Amino acid sequence: MKVSAIRQALLLIALAFVPAIGEAIYFRDKVSWQSPDRSSEMVNLDQAQSWGANAIWVDARPDNEFEQDHVPGAIPLNEDRWNELLPTLLAQWSLEKKIVVYCSSQSCNASREVARRLRDEAGLKEVFVLQGGWETWLKSKR
Amino acid sequence: MKSLSQQFFWRLMDLIVGGIFIYAGVIKAVAPLRFAIDIDNYKMLPWAIGVRLAFYLPWLELVCGIALILRFFYRGGLFILTALTFIFIAASIIAKVRGLDITCGCFGHTSKNWSFTAHLALDFAILITLIALWVSSRAQQREL
Repeated sequence: MKVSAIRQALLLIALAFVPAIGEAIYFRDKVSWQSPDRSSEMVNLDQAQSWGANAIWVDARPDNEFEQDHVPGAIPLNEDRWNELLPTLLAQWSLEKKIVVYCSSQSCNASREVARRLRDEAGLKEVFVLQGGWETWLKSKR
Repeated sequence: MKSLSQQFFWRLMDLIVGGIFIYAGVIKAVAPLRFAIDIDNYKMLPWAIGVRLAFYLPWLELVCGIALILRFFYRGGLFILTALTFIFIAASIIAKVRGLDITCGCFGHTSKNWSFTAHLALDFAILITLIALWVSSRAQQREL
């Protein structure tokens, strides 16, 4: 029996719903279904700067971008060299310090990912993502 | 009739493209929240839709990749994967034009530092292969 491509496609589309719904049920309490719910982790530049020496700045951009320029005193920590760079950050960290992670701009994802790993894997508290990232920092210095 | 070497070539293409989509699907299916953030970065869909897609699309890729490899609902799988690749290329170009610094995360962590050009080149290569497989399967169907 020949089944048309469209009919086959519709059946495959329906078939994929089965594991997807199963996974969604498994994750139902771990996901924010209506909004990204990231407000608590974001920090704007003024707030972050007001923390002064209590803030550790973490640059989540690739190495070459960090080498070109970065926030003074920032520590590089990207996912490529996570294991290699993390000890430097941990050596500077103490309980009262807040961590501010930034990447290149508002739309980049690296800072959120690094912040998530610092919370989930390294067990650090008070980890924030800089709104607007490096772009915002640069604008404030002009 | 296709020669044996031609048949072997197209079968190999099925396996390669199917394998790529299975890999891409598995990597995203195990971390749906990360994929939801990747979709959100394109700033094209509300979070409520993006997060649901993040749970669904990896499985659709996986099911269609398996369809290609097993040649079960083959043309339906090809049709969906071609459409998905086309939509993804369009979304990437639109995001680039809008100046968004996106990480697609399509192939997990390994692809995060690929340049936009490298991503686009791979996507176009996949799209062209999918279209070629489609044309080849139509020709084969006509011969039967």
